[in-house]
Amino acid sequence: METRSDTYNRTARDSIIASIRRGLATSAPFDAEHQKHHRPATSQEMKLGAPLPAGLDLIEGFKASLELVGGKFCLVSDLNEAAREIRSVIGNIGANDIAVSDSTLVASAISAISDRQFRVNVPSAELFNCDLGITSAQWAIAETGTLVLESDMESHRLTSLIPPVHLCLIKATAIRQTLGEILDLIRRDLSRAVTFITGASRTSDIELTLAIGVHGPGELHVIVVND
Amino acid sequence: MDHLTAETFDQNARDALRDPILHGALRNLADNFAERRRSAMASVDDWEGLRGKARCIKEETLLHLDKYLLEFVKNAEEAGVKFHWARDGKEACEVVLDLIMERGAEMVVKAKSMAGEEIHLNEVLESAGIEPVETDLGEWIIQLAGETPSHIVVPAIHKTKAQIAQLFVDKIGIEKSDDVDVLTKTARNILRKRFAEAKIGISGVNFAVAETGTMLILENEGNIRLTTGVPKTHIAIMGIEKIIPRFADLDVFLKLLPRSGTGQRLTAYQSLLTGVKKKAADEGPNEVHVVLLDNGRSRMLSHPVTRQSLACIRCGACLNACPVYQQVGGHAYGSVYPGPIGAVITPQLIGLSRTKQLPYASSLCGACREVCPVKIDIPELLLHLRAEITDGTAAGAVAETPVKRKFFESLAFRAYSQAWASPKSYKFGLRTARLMQKFVARKGKIGEVSGFVARLLPPLGAWTAWRDAPVVASRSFREQWKAGLDSDM
Repeated sequence: METRSDTYNRTARDSIIASIRRGLATSAPFDAEHQKHHRPATSQEMKLGAPLPAGLDLIEGFKASLELVGGKFCLVSDLNEAAREIRSVIGNIGANDIAVSDSTLVASAISAISDRQFRVNVPSAELFNCDLGITSAQWAIAETGTLVLESDMESHRLTSLIPPVHLCLIKATAIRQTLGEILDLIRRDLSRAVTFITGASRTSDIELTLAIGVHGPGELHVIVVND
Repeated sequence: MDHLTAETFDQNARDALRDPILHGALRNLADNFAERRRSAMASVDDWEGLRGKARCIKEETLLHLDKYLLEFVKNAEEAGVKFHWARDGKEACEVVLDLIMERGAEMVVKAKSMAGEEIHLNEVLESAGIEPVETDLGEWIIQLAGETPSHIVVPAIHKTKAQIAQLFVDKIGIEKSDDVDVLTKTARNILRKRFAEAKIGISGVNFAVAETGTMLILENEGNIRLTTGVPKTHIAIMGIEKIIPRFADLDVFLKLLPRSGTGQRLTAYQSLLTGVKKKAADEGPNEVHVVLLDNGRSRMLSHPVTRQSLACIRCGACLNACPVYQQVGGHAYGSVYPGPIGAVITPQLIGLSRTKQLPYASSLCGACREVCPVKIDIPELLLHLRAEITDGTAAGAVAETPVKRKFFESLAFRAYSQAWASPKSYKFGLRTARLMQKFVARKGKIGEVSGFVARLLPPLGAWTAWRDAPVVASRSFREQWKAGLDSDM
């Protein structure tokens, strides 16, 4: 049933659209005049940078970019090695309450760790008490050191955000060089929420002094599985 | 607390110049940002090409804003978003308030939103008994202090660490500490409780993609991800100019905005949100509402010069580059949008009659135009608005009763243009000036002129009240040329 506010909303919409069209119509003659004195804002073709050297190592590139923003990088050649790395991060931060996403990659890696409790799909209210969140990511960008999380593929939106440490497992084959390539890939089957993560949570709001871990994780560990 | 208004910019600026604490807070701004921005710019291949492309995308969008806006709405609606159209700030606040009331929330968590600041949402919520909790660290600090933001990107830039430390002692009751990490952790711990209990989160929007119905929000802290991810309801407030046509266009703006705003290659987080979750068990809010705000924006479309204002992506680079902003800070502008971009947007949003001093709050040095990632010609806009103020000849967006040009001023300008139009009268003018300046010139310049002379020649008095005026040379270039340059060496 249509309510009064629906009618009101439609009136507001019509009036804004009409106002936009009125504005553009008023501008048309001025635009003609303006173009006589100004170069039109046509797109100059962008100069492209030098082509990437053949066989450029995406893993090395990702590592360098990630470390530039303070992320911790680790390369492993199989899931057993990944499990050892996860165990070492857990030990180093003394994590007790560990949340994991529903990623199959994460599940197979932690299956080798039997003396620890991992809770899958922890409700958000309880995530605030967790010490560590472990997720995967669907893609990564080498030029910026960015992890790309697609919500339709895995429920990692909050597990990667709320605990003070985020550990992310990713397949080496998921790394691409540029942001543009990634936008093209995720566009095809766009998830409801896509999250780009580049380093730990940070702020410079007090006297432009950098502080790490303000609302999101203060530590980001990425384990790249190259098997 | 009383906030400064744009009407009294000149006085606000004078007061700010006498405030040593403010200067202490602002002292690092220019160098810090300029340096970070320069090194970030160097990490793209063709910065100028990128700027040109961004401006083209914005221009294309604005010239077809009705089409792209409706396309965005259609695609986002199909993904489950509910839209609310607001012609002005009052309507936008009413919509948000109704949504909160219907859901019985007494508190909302807020991520930084310039549109939210523009419509003064917090005041409206507070007077309705709802607690708005700002969660961006800088915004939270100034909310604690009862102040307004003074910078688009770093809202609390006007406060020193010592002031913030004292504020935390007074308002939160922690032990005094001027360790930035301690202050940050304190805010984190307090705000996490609020995130956990919030039913509604309110955010802004950086870009809205017509093609897919996606909203993109950038941040560094993680509070936006929490605001848009934890509560059951997400309300986003966006100006109608935030649209870009294609998903691939994000590549351009994701390269420009972080580099221009904070000198980063990419901010820590980007959220690309398209609609509402598909299954109840999925993560994320159950409902997403978007308030589309006009509030004077559609009027800016009516002239190519004013239309540029809508290309702004709110990076704050023009504030950091502006010699006026660097000295007087953001509050002097008396508006949520300070600095060069504020000096041109505020008059168009709230009318020139209340903002007459703002278009003059600039030396027209052009630094803002140089740094603008979308190539907005801010000096051109300032001149356009000045023309509007003096004689109302600049047609377009700011249609109001023109301010009548003063009779003598008009006469003086006519005489000036006559005199400069013929060599004879020009020479006569120069000779007269050379003769007359003997009475006021000291050591090759004219210092402060007051008393009788200032009354006789008001422009000279006004000029020399703030800086020296140069004297007319004893021989003009043409005279020297005629006499032969060599003989003068």
